Amino acid sequence: MFASSWFILLFPLAGFIVLSWYGGRISKPLVGLVGCGTVGASFLTSLVALSDLLFLPTEERISKVHVLYQWVSAANFKLDLAILVDPLSVFMFLIVTGVGFVIHVYSIGYMHDDIEYSRFFSYLNLFIFSMLVLIAAADFFFLIVGWALVGLASYLLIGFYKEKTSAVLAARKAFVMNVIGDVGMVIAAFVIFESFGTLSFVDVFAAAPEMFRPNDDQILLITLLLLVGAFAKSAQLPLHTWLPDAMEGPTPVSALIHAATMVTAGVYLIARCHVLYELAPFTMYLIATVGVLTAVFAGTMGMVQYDIKRVIAYSTMSQLGYMFLAMGIGVYSLGMFHLMTHAFFKALLFLAAGSVIHALNGEQDIRKMGGLKNVMPLTHATFLIGALALAGFPLTSGYFSKEAIILSSYHAEMGNFVFWAIALITAGMTAFYIFRVYFSTFIGETRSPDAHPHESPLTMALPLVFLAVLALAGGFLGPLVDAFLAPVFGREVHHFHDGVLETIALIAGIGGIATAALMYQVSKDRIELMKEVFAPLYDLLFHKYYVDEIYDFLIVKPTKAIGKFMEEKAEKQGVDFAVDQVGFQVKEVSRGISFWQTGRVRTYALNMVAGMVIILLFVVFL
Amino acid sequence: MGQEFVLLVSSSVFCVGACGFIIRKNPLIMFMSVELMLNSVNFLLIAYSSFLNSLDGQIFALIIMTVAAAEVVVGLAIILTIFRTRHEMDVDQINALKG
Repeated sequence: MFASSWFILLFPLAGFIVLSWYGGRISKPLVGLVGCGTVGASFLTSLVALSDLLFLPTEERISKVHVLYQWVSAANFKLDLAILVDPLSVFMFLIVTGVGFVIHVYSIGYMHDDIEYSRFFSYLNLFIFSMLVLIAAADFFFLIVGWALVGLASYLLIGFYKEKTSAVLAARKAFVMNVIGDVGMVIAAFVIFESFGTLSFVDVFAAAPEMFRPNDDQILLITLLLLVGAFAKSAQLPLHTWLPDAMEGPTPVSALIHAATMVTAGVYLIARCHVLYELAPFTMYLIATVGVLTAVFAGTMGMVQYDIKRVIAYSTMSQLGYMFLAMGIGVYSLGMFHLMTHAFFKALLFLAAGSVIHALNGEQDIRKMGGLKNVMPLTHATFLIGALALAGFPLTSGYFSKEAIILSSYHAEMGNFVFWAIALITAGMTAFYIFRVYFSTFIGETRSPDAHPHESPLTMALPLVFLAVLALAGGFLGPLVDAFLAPVFGREVHHFHDGVLETIALIAGIGGIATAALMYQVSKDRIELMKEVFAPLYDLLFHKYYVDEIYDFLIVKPTKAIGKFMEEKAEKQGVDFAVDQVGFQVKEVSRGISFWQTGRVRTYALNMVAGMVIILLFVVFL
Repeated sequence: MGQEFVLLVSSSVFCVGACGFIIRKNPLIMFMSVELMLNSVNFLLIAYSSFLNSLDGQIFALIIMTVAAAEVVVGLAIILTIFRTRHEMDVDQINALKG
């Protein structure tokens, strides 16, 4: 009954192949149609899978592995070409294809003037396909295949403007960082195969609770190695430096890959493997700690950046931190719910920011923006909705999901006061920095008098409106998501109610907005003064805690030095020298021997006779 | 006719051939010297075949003559070609293979 689910994957793959081969030869509208149509068809097929699933009784919805055929069968290693259709994967299908479709439509308008229009859409389709492989995988093998493919698509799209050096460098950085994670995942798969003898999710998760006691060495090793992959992909400390740089890519890419879908793969991985993680409370604790630290670090960095996309990128890191926190304290469906609302409002924020950048002909510095409220009313309204949702303003989608996580971080079994306090501070900072962007961009006087901003075309406006509706109303889907995902996680999440803490969180959010308003509206002239007062702190934040510089010093520079040493000493004076000497010495020796080769037949004959005589003398006299 | 006589004649002829090969510069004469050496051995083989009452020696001599004939054919062809291209008959000048 889930045979149709294969088409979820096949549509974007077909789109990718068609656009790669024929993209250059068909007209732009057709390219857009193929690009969006395949993802749209994939979304509709996902809806079919959803309805199929809803018709089943709750307890039968999990572990639905659909095998196409056995792909590998070697000794005791078996691998099926199979997809796993359960509430978790269908939930992710819907987000990826749904948000993906909206962003594809937006790209028609955004990329309209680009020469390499079809290349862009073929990469986008490749990305959607890869992400769906990652989600649909029924075993660790295809999970890693998808994991690596999304890394590739991300690399291609970050470096899409290939004539820009910074974009190419950013793409390389993202790729290298992601490969660190891939290596962790591959080693994890080895360890899993060694302990379980299979890579299939269903078998591994069924066997794990009987094989291991909590915090066994083996299970800790597996979960930590998987976590390396999750941290790299989801830009958590300390593998986070690639995400802000990834903003060099086109804005729809930032919205799709680096906000809504790919970066949430780490969260998905933990949700998928929650059976293993529950056996490793230590790893869970680590996830929550890293998550909450990333949230607060990214939040502080976001407060001082001037690039509109970078600010939103830091907020993505920060929100991913919340999701990891939710995973770490065991409230999985809250994490998945925040993943969904975050996909809505963060895609919205990026697309609205893209609309601004588009209108200002590529300007990304918020110091040069301002007063766009009246020129771009629709973009203004949608950005405001996105910002409110991100800030957790009551009744927006972000309010429901983030509030629940913050509350659980204190009340859940594995939560504690520190998690709660940091999450709360981050919530305040989040509200502050996103409204700092909002006030700088849309309110006040225009700061770039030469530009003539205009409202974006319909293909860009419609996705904004659609996502704005979702960002506003998505929060009410919470209980549905919870109930839908409950079979996967084996329990419904417990909703805590604590009026005091809820009020405090609310005050933090609104306080952040108020502070931003105060600083950037009422007393603008004091900003410079504050910068001077907090100069050391400001510098530290502005340079992103010097993490890039530290990595450069600790890893890049030594590696380059080793490379240089190898090239100049080991290669030129070692290997090359040895090879040269072999040739040279052979030549010298030959020159000595060639004295005997006179080329005169009579000399040879004389030598032969002399030799014969000597042998004869030996024979006769000895 | 004793064995000493046969051995003496054979080795004398062989030495004449060897000396001729080493001393002379004309390739044709050198070829003839080679033939002398070969035939000195043939003489020895046939003589001993008679002394020992065995046909092996004679058969060997026949084979050597065949090989010598073949060798002369090839050798003369080579000499002819060299003469045609270089117009000289001095083996000392033909030293293109000098190392």
